[in-house]
Amino acid sequence: MSKQMSEITRRRLVQGAGAVAGVTALGMGRAEAQAGGRVVIGTWGGDYSKLLSKNIDTPLVVPKGIECVHDIGGDSERRAKMRAEARLPRGTSDVQGLSAAQMYEMNEAGLALPIDYAKVPNSKNLLPQMKYPYGIGHIYSGKVILYNPKMIATPPASFADTLDPRHGAKLGIIDIQYQFTMMAAGLASGGSMTNYEPGKERLLACKKAGAKIYPTNEALAAALKTEEVGVAIMWKARAVQWQNAGIAVETVAPKEGVPMYVSGFVIPKNAPNKDGAHAWLNAMLEPAAQEAFAVDMGYNATVTNAKVAADTQKRIGFTAEEQKRLVDLDYGYLAKNDSALKEWWDKSFKG
Amino acid sequence: MAAAATGAPAHERGLTAAALLLPASLVVVVGLLVPLGILLRYSFNQFVPVKGLVPDSVTAENYVKFFTDPFYLGVLWRTFRVAAFCTAICLLLGMPLAYVLARTRSRHKNLLIMAVVLPLFVGNAVRAAGWMVMFGSKGFVNSVLLGLGLIGEPLQIMYTEFAVVVGITAVNLPFMVLTLQSVIEGIEPVVEEAALSLGAGPIATFRRVVLPLAMPGLLAGTILCFILAMNAYATPVLLGGPRFQMMGPTVYGQFAGLSNWPFGAALSFVLMTATISLTLLAHFLVQRRYRR
Repeated sequence: MSKQMSEITRRRLVQGAGAVAGVTALGMGRAEAQAGGRVVIGTWGGDYSKLLSKNIDTPLVVPKGIECVHDIGGDSERRAKMRAEARLPRGTSDVQGLSAAQMYEMNEAGLALPIDYAKVPNSKNLLPQMKYPYGIGHIYSGKVILYNPKMIATPPASFADTLDPRHGAKLGIIDIQYQFTMMAAGLASGGSMTNYEPGKERLLACKKAGAKIYPTNEALAAALKTEEVGVAIMWKARAVQWQNAGIAVETVAPKEGVPMYVSGFVIPKNAPNKDGAHAWLNAMLEPAAQEAFAVDMGYNATVTNAKVAADTQKRIGFTAEEQKRLVDLDYGYLAKNDSALKEWWDKSFKG
Repeated sequence: MAAAATGAPAHERGLTAAALLLPASLVVVVGLLVPLGILLRYSFNQFVPVKGLVPDSVTAENYVKFFTDPFYLGVLWRTFRVAAFCTAICLLLGMPLAYVLARTRSRHKNLLIMAVVLPLFVGNAVRAAGWMVMFGSKGFVNSVLLGLGLIGEPLQIMYTEFAVVVGITAVNLPFMVLTLQSVIEGIEPVVEEAALSLGAGPIATFRRVVLPLAMPGLLAGTILCFILAMNAYATPVLLGGPRFQMMGPTVYGQFAGLSNWPFGAALSFVLMTATISLTLLAHFLVQRRYRR
């Protein structure tokens, strides 16, 4: 060992030290460049990703010298990725778009960075319900009843009227909406946000009567369009999109309460560019961006200073009386019971 | 290489062989065996709702859950049934087609082979989308049958086992045909002519001469189709719908939907073990049958 050491010449040592210094400098340079100017946004693909670019990235973030890159995927894949990257000192994304329930789940799993609201000045206008310690609500809508007046003579007024075996095969249910469907059935049968159990019997009765189960939201939309089914429950925002696409459905805010659907963003704890992530979240809450999402997607703004045109607001929003019935979910109950709920759904309801 | 060809010492040839094997072996070890090892470990981890996988736990509860729950055993049985059906249909439809392709002297032979390969140019999901257009309640099949007055109400074809079997068969058939065709081409036609000239009929010639000689290809094609069908994902999801549950989508659901990696890993190993066991069993039985 000592002999080898003695063979290292002074020149070589200097060369080696130079190389190490060079590599270190390169590494630092890269880290600085990333901290300064690149935000990776984990998001669903399709329209949502395009609208994030159109309404947030391009007009509000890129001019500040921050490069925006979308990491597109379903929320389940992106959540799996967050879990898989948990042990890495540097993850691969800076913000992740998730539903409120999923944001809660990621926080409980210890993967979400507490939001530093001092770095998000626009949060002063944020609706209090959308201000989570671990994430920020971007858009929201509510679960409403959709029905085709041609097929359903008496408009349903409640979840109990909707998830009713008397509709037989005219009732459409979405597989991926199992949580909200079980919640709605629970509320319809005397349950609550912390007890969906009473709804199980109701759902089994609907299945026995011929209710149809569709794999995705889009599959239900196609079935509503072809009049294969005439009544369902879905987000009001989606109903508005489907109405715009020529599907003949009316919406009703259910009597039992309108469960809120919030879609927002969290910052993974190991995000490489945490400052950039906060800057992006701040841009997301700019009134212009929020107004554009209301117009383009039919979801409600989560900031109080967004000015949505009266006619748009009438279509996508809720009346003062309906707003009183907006109810938030118990995300703790949902996260704790999700496996059991899904297992019942797969085995007993679908099986 | 040159050293090997010119009669280099044995240990040098061994080194050359090792050097040739190394890159592929590394890819397999790093890309397949290491992740499988990790997955195997996960399958013995405990899962706690909300928190997810418990890192240092060791438990067999995931396997116990699978083997004691009729629902999951039913999913495995359904998967096996669909795979067996699809493989049998591929064999029945593929054998005559492969035989004709192998024996034809048409100058369009290459075009015919291209026609068999062509469906492989399109992804499974896209092909499933095509079947959805055919099988929907207002799809092609129902419209034709309604138009001809053969049915009064649209038939429920989508979201049935029939739709899944048709979809998977269509995906797997080219693999069977191509495998069989290449093996049958290797069987000299004079062997068949000899059998015929010695008084064997066409059926006896096929059964006693062509079939035993084509057995390696038949086995390879069958195993390939069976494995592909057992692990099918897109077709059961798109054509089977939410209520038709097979193993592939169930594994995905546990991993991605519920973040239950331990149970998803256990399901993966059950599926993999079942597929390998059944494949080996078929191989063993066929070899024993034709060795006699």
